[in-house]
Amino acid sequence: MRVPVGLKLSVFSLAVMGVYTYFANSIPQIESKPPEELSLEGGNVTPAQLVKAGEQIFHTKGTCEVCHKIGEKGTRAPDLAGVGARAAKRKPGQSAKQYLIESLLDPGAYLVEGYPNIMPRVDKPPIGLNRSELWAVVALLESLGGSVDVKLDDIPKTAGAPAVGGTAAELKLPGDPKAGEAVFAGKGACIACHKAGKVGAAQVGPDLSQIARIQTPEYIMGKILNPSAMGTVAGYPKGVMPPIFGQTLTAKEYVDLVSFLLTLK
Amino acid sequence: MRGLHVVRQAVRAAVPVAALLLAATALPAAAQEAAREPAYRAFPLIGSRLAVWAIAQLHLNFAAFILGVPIFAVIIEIIGWRTGAPRYDWLSHEFVKLIFAAFSTTALLGAFLLFLFVGYYPKFWAYMTSIFFPTYWIYALLFFAETFTVYLWYYGWEWLSGPRKWVHVSLGVLSNLFGTAILLIGNSWVTFMMSPAGVTETGALKGSVWAAINNSTWMPINIHRLIANIVFGGTIAAAYAAFRFLNATTDEERARYDWMGYVGNFVALSAFIVLPFAGYWLGREIYAFNQTMGITMMGGFMSWLWIIQAILIGVLFLGSNYYLWLGMERIPGSERYRKYVPYMLTILAIGFMVWATPHSLIVTLEEARAMGGTHHPFLGFFGVMSAKNTAVNLMILTTFLSYVLYRRANRLSIRPWVVIGMAIQWAAFAVAAAIVVFYGVYGYFVESIVRIGFSVYQVGAVLGAIVLVMTIDVPMFRGAKSTGAIRWGSIPARSQYVLILLAVTFTWLMGLMGFARSGIRQYWHVYGILRDTSVDAVTPALGYAANMITTVTIVFFALVMFIFWLGGLSEKGKPGAHGAAAMPVIAGGSEDPR
Repeated sequence: MRVPVGLKLSVFSLAVMGVYTYFANSIPQIESKPPEELSLEGGNVTPAQLVKAGEQIFHTKGTCEVCHKIGEKGTRAPDLAGVGARAAKRKPGQSAKQYLIESLLDPGAYLVEGYPNIMPRVDKPPIGLNRSELWAVVALLESLGGSVDVKLDDIPKTAGAPAVGGTAAELKLPGDPKAGEAVFAGKGACIACHKAGKVGAAQVGPDLSQIARIQTPEYIMGKILNPSAMGTVAGYPKGVMPPIFGQTLTAKEYVDLVSFLLTLK
Repeated sequence: MRGLHVVRQAVRAAVPVAALLLAATALPAAAQEAAREPAYRAFPLIGSRLAVWAIAQLHLNFAAFILGVPIFAVIIEIIGWRTGAPRYDWLSHEFVKLIFAAFSTTALLGAFLLFLFVGYYPKFWAYMTSIFFPTYWIYALLFFAETFTVYLWYYGWEWLSGPRKWVHVSLGVLSNLFGTAILLIGNSWVTFMMSPAGVTETGALKGSVWAAINNSTWMPINIHRLIANIVFGGTIAAAYAAFRFLNATTDEERARYDWMGYVGNFVALSAFIVLPFAGYWLGREIYAFNQTMGITMMGGFMSWLWIIQAILIGVLFLGSNYYLWLGMERIPGSERYRKYVPYMLTILAIGFMVWATPHSLIVTLEEARAMGGTHHPFLGFFGVMSAKNTAVNLMILTTFLSYVLYRRANRLSIRPWVVIGMAIQWAAFAVAAAIVVFYGVYGYFVESIVRIGFSVYQVGAVLGAIVLVMTIDVPMFRGAKSTGAIRWGSIPARSQYVLILLAVTFTWLMGLMGFARSGIRQYWHVYGILRDTSVDAVTPALGYAANMITTVTIVFFALVMFIFWLGGLSEKGKPGAHGAAAMPVIAGGSEDPR
């Protein structure tokens, strides 16, 4: 019996692709997972915990180890062994932690001789470390030959990228944050359950003082209109937030309120 | 008059106020609507990412085919028009017939892909629209223009023959221009996702959309895809010819499809030789745009991808050369060059092995301890870029040598300066090889930042040799004596399997490179601007990607076979209008006796 050419070619093609597929499945299987956000603000963290957190960021979200080695001379970036001790001597009048913070937030300000100006700002996307993470990384670097004395307040308030979701599709609302604050404290009665920066002190619901930093605009808008559909923050009872604001607030008040909440970073 | 003036002024004042009022009422509504709109929806069963991946890869495969084939189809038609040889017209028509049948499938897959984005990634699509909306119109208009031009080109083949042939050829050229413009627009969207430009930190467009289009990787990808499309079109057309060759019932039919397969492979090989150089440029631009992205691509979680790529390209090099060597068997006079084949095979095999040597070996703990790490004490030297760049450049030179020998297989130059000409050619090969090896070895003794620059010298040496050798070769063999006609159709059947191997491998390679291009963004839809917060934000491992690529490649070939079969139905029982052409007798594809 003569085997049809089409069948022979199909079997041949499948065998070729089978070999490629088998090989690709037999080599190390490495996934690239999105980094997890670390928040240490307001927490009681020991220097040792901070350094440990910094180590984790060094190998994962910070992608530092792609160029920097510790105890091994790199071709793209300096060896970081002993940097905690060296840092204080780099620039006159600058302490170790000041130098290290500057190195992370403005890497081109001082270049170690022999290395190109290729390091990106680590608080900006795509790396986008937040203040807590910067704090931990500086602690790690200080620990490499020096002593850990960095505090969260040493990290500039302006540093750090917004959290999950990025900001590209951020909605530019025409609302007035000042009027929104009035809604928060007045007609909306949000203040009865939530704290928002200097406004309010209630702890019935989650503290919203940094809500724009940890949630997307879409979440905030959805949560006001339909609270149950957006889930409940861990540790708080379900179904407490009333689903009435879509009816009780005017469109302008709603937009003002959202605009106010988006300023809480 | 005064009253009218007032009324006009009132109207003028009222218009912006009314617009403001309308906006004030509409904006909260829009905001509420946006709050309800989910960022993602889940595609049934397989999830949104797999759905988009499969359709995007299929669409790109078809698009590459219908954009690549017309480029060489029109060149072949022009050759036929200027030389008056009808076989080229037949071949060009045969190629266009293939893309004609695949045209609507490409458009349907494109529409399907659009629906997937709009429906399952609405937030992402809204953002892309906020940047690229003006280009959508141009894209749609170009698609209309491209479609009608290709239809006219195909259906007008007989009508626009004879003295009106120039109009027909112009249609072919025009369809290529439209097709390339479509490619450039599509590439601007894709490259913006990799290397966004012209936008603020929050992703808002700063000025003109041109800045977003003309981002760092746009032009390198344009060039890379343009060349790769020609290679892809050539391999698929050659695979079609192989299928027809193996199914042929007459010697004439076999000869015709042998020639078609040869031309398809020749086109693919010619473009393929320069493809790695375009790849270098693209890689360099990725590094220039963002070092982290470049390092992630080459040294991060994707580093093993390049080993697979090396194997695939190695197969393509070996396959292409093997096909040429088999082809020489049907050329009287080629015997004098067969002695070089073992040496060329040795260089290709060693180059293949070096290129596919990983930087870090997969070893057990005991083996790692015995070696003192994952770097083998001897093989470790071959797992670095110095060795790999040297290997690939020598493979390109060897492949070019194969082609040069094939080209002159049945020709004897009658030029009086033939000895000098050949000496210069061999010297060009030797000097290029020496430069490649010198910088390859020197690269081990310098810093990486210096070493990266060496690849430019290596590439320059190889390209220079190619240009110089061909500049001498063309006049040297013009009007050459023939040692006998090519016996088209007498090539061994296994050569046709090589053509199938090349088509399958290149299609698979395209899928792999698509994964690389998309995967280096990791958890970003638009790198550093719009983050992927979906459940699919994990970039999968290579095994998973390979399973997906194979599945899509199988579907692609099944669709291609079906479409080709459909295209062939209309010709069943009809005498071939373009099929009665005689075959050429000279290896290079021309029977010019000068």
